[in-house]
Amino acid sequence: MFIIPKLQLEDIFACAQCGYCVKKCPVYYFLGWESTSPRGKMFTLKEILGNNSRLDEQKIHKLGKPLSMRFFSCTFCGLCKEVCHVEVDLLEIWSKVREVLYELGIVPESIIKLSETVKQSKNIYMMDNTSRMDWVTYTGADVNFKDSAEVVYFVGCITSFSGRVQSIAQAVSSLLNYVNEDWTLLKDEWCCGHPLVLSGAIREARVLAFHNVEMIESTGAKKVVTGCPGCYLALKHEYPRLLGKKPKFEVLHSSQLLSTYITSGRLVVPKSDITLTYHDPCELGRISGIIREPRVVLQSVTDTFVEPEYFGRESICCGSGGLLKAVNPSLAESIAQRRYGMLASTNVEVIVSACPTCVQTLAQTATTMQNGKRVIDLSQLIAEQVGLM
Amino acid sequence: MTTSDKFLSELINRLGQEYVSVDSLEKLVYAHDFAALPKFVKLLFNTTPDVIVRPKATEHVTEIMKLANEYKIPVIPRGSATWGFGGTVPVKGGIILDLTGLNRIIHLDEKNGLLTVECGVVWEDVIRFLRKTCWELPTYPSSALSSTVGGWAATGGIGYGSLKYGPFVKNVVKVTAVLPDGRVIVVDDNSDPSLSQLFGSEGILCVFTELTLKMIPKNEAEMPFMANFSNFANALMAAQEVLRLTRPHSLVLRTFGFVRTKDYVESDAYFFGCFNDNKRDVYEQYLKLDSIVNRYRGYLVPEDEARREWEERFYTLRIKKWGPSILGNEFIIPVHKILDMVRYCWQLGNQAHLDVEVEVIFISKDEALMFPLFLCDERKPIRYLMSAAIAKKVLDVAIKVGGRPYGYGLWNFPFMEIAEPEKKGELERMKSTLDPQNLLNPGKTIGAEVTLGLPLPGKLYSTFMDGVWVLRKVI
Repeated sequence: MFIIPKLQLEDIFACAQCGYCVKKCPVYYFLGWESTSPRGKMFTLKEILGNNSRLDEQKIHKLGKPLSMRFFSCTFCGLCKEVCHVEVDLLEIWSKVREVLYELGIVPESIIKLSETVKQSKNIYMMDNTSRMDWVTYTGADVNFKDSAEVVYFVGCITSFSGRVQSIAQAVSSLLNYVNEDWTLLKDEWCCGHPLVLSGAIREARVLAFHNVEMIESTGAKKVVTGCPGCYLALKHEYPRLLGKKPKFEVLHSSQLLSTYITSGRLVVPKSDITLTYHDPCELGRISGIIREPRVVLQSVTDTFVEPEYFGRESICCGSGGLLKAVNPSLAESIAQRRYGMLASTNVEVIVSACPTCVQTLAQTATTMQNGKRVIDLSQLIAEQVGLM
Repeated sequence: MTTSDKFLSELINRLGQEYVSVDSLEKLVYAHDFAALPKFVKLLFNTTPDVIVRPKATEHVTEIMKLANEYKIPVIPRGSATWGFGGTVPVKGGIILDLTGLNRIIHLDEKNGLLTVECGVVWEDVIRFLRKTCWELPTYPSSALSSTVGGWAATGGIGYGSLKYGPFVKNVVKVTAVLPDGRVIVVDDNSDPSLSQLFGSEGILCVFTELTLKMIPKNEAEMPFMANFSNFANALMAAQEVLRLTRPHSLVLRTFGFVRTKDYVESDAYFFGCFNDNKRDVYEQYLKLDSIVNRYRGYLVPEDEARREWEERFYTLRIKKWGPSILGNEFIIPVHKILDMVRYCWQLGNQAHLDVEVEVIFISKDEALMFPLFLCDERKPIRYLMSAAIAKKVLDVAIKVGGRPYGYGLWNFPFMEIAEPEKKGELERMKSTLDPQNLLNPGKTIGAEVTLGLPLPGKLYSTFMDGVWVLRKVI
């Protein structure tokens, strides 16, 4: 039997209803109705809270699908948490509510499909998971499958399966080879489980976490590197919570690893006169706090690096977070267009990000625009500059 | 088809489905404002709106007002709902007019420094927009990260910069307003009604839709400052001298009182603010500040710390998390009465066993806006209700010492008769002329109505709150 978890009552009641989050929310920006804003959702929670500090099941059922749609129409970008007047951990609250809604079976159809897909196929695309390594053949990358290594490269579902961003995996592996890193891919990588955590399917996510940790630890690797901020969040922050223990390896995002290589002199990147701007992925920048490292890498490439409107901790979502693409694709597209517009208005040649989902979304948006800019991942940029791609 | 169905279908026909909502979740979240309502309020007032409308143009507002007149349905204008006096809370259902969709920055007259915006523009967007120009805002509210330009015009209009440049009303050239009958008028200082008559009328006389604001040329230098003192009296005396000898953009004094022992301990206090001028003047003023702070045994914190405090100026409610609820009030009082009022707030806090924070924003050498906050817990409904009377007790004394409420709305309406009888008389006269059907934000500011349209006498309300305060002691 599922017991509705307790919410942090102080947090729910501490909400000052000041509306600082309303103004920043990328979803509210387009929908405009108070109930879709973080402030509106916090007020709704207060109203459906039972005396035992758990959400009232009857009230949830009564509000049903409209309630669920409000909580799943969210990019999980964390801007609401960032600007919160009383420093409430809103992302934690949204996660818990999604967990409750999932367990009570009040989630959008697309979320059920997605979680079933991941459960069955161990990836988000319903592909045969043995084809996860097909990108190696498609890109011609030189990769390693070792029984033991210092570093594991955790590729992630999107980079593995999506043709548009498989070049990120090629870039990361070629850079690891270039610096003579002792590294390997996992022989049987499963989805990191982050999409399931976002769906509220915590128990199912735990199964994936257990498998991936076992696989990584079997290689004896001290470090795991991933180019996907979603996988990074899962491996670094969600796995310890899901499994109740800290895995024995250090988790790094590819931008962190590249920054270390560059500052230690292990990787020398020739300077170029290319003009660049950088989109901070929400899960990497604001949520994980990795803001400086990508800039260290970018500044090694060019002196003409332009910050866009809203960057660093203030960066605005590209629309693809929080499973919004599955729940409300047209809204996700609108958010992507808005962000792309901000990035393109810097008048640079190339838009760089450090996330396969952001790169994919922004590149897709660029194709719908006249004179769309080139959008690439940070690792691709460096691999190109070094002459590996 | 019932009248309300007919009204709704006509509303949708005229505006379009995307601007109208009758969704039950939407009604739930539009039934309140910034303040947490004690449960009993819902017995007195029908706070749930019948419909919420998000107009996108002045013409939409006109259509809504005309239709509301035809069907005699109340209209409650709403900006970002960041005002805590119940001004945007319906008292007998009706239409919530969510004006945040009117959010365009229309035009900047670069030559004369005049900026025209729609009413739903958030202050932060104006500040951000002006960064790319050679102009800046003279004054803006402490809730600038979410509050709207129109919302501030309808309410107090006192905030950061008001000390140096005057209140908001002095920094507006003209406004476009929709009257309760749907007519659109352009208002300035010489029109009838005039700008000062409609400003701060709390949404009972008109809906502002466009405003033209005066800007100031960007100052060459900006120097935030912050000084700590070991007691409030010294901080206050130093602040008064700062007001006398320098020209700060803003000056804010804060103090805390905690129920840690049986009696209140005289707490420490600090003030912060900012100088803005040419480099030389800013430097000279800072030197004067330094000597004042030293004289009153204060300590001027390092510049980076002061800058951080200044950047945090919009986060005045950080303390709420310790509550997790707050009760309070806002009023304007003579500067020479600040010390007495702060001590009275501490005394009240002590009686009710509530921690207190007091913030004072100076608006001139003689007057200040005081904002005492009492930390409490709305999860204990009886105690919360009993403590709610503290907001009234504070105001009683503030008025006695020559102060007046910063706003009236729903919760402070009984005080207008006592604090500003002339203003009340004028508002009543204008209300009966402009809104004879009493449709625009009824039951606020000049008088309240309970659910069935019965008037709620101010004295009855005041007596009830006094009774609650006495009952608190008994319980």
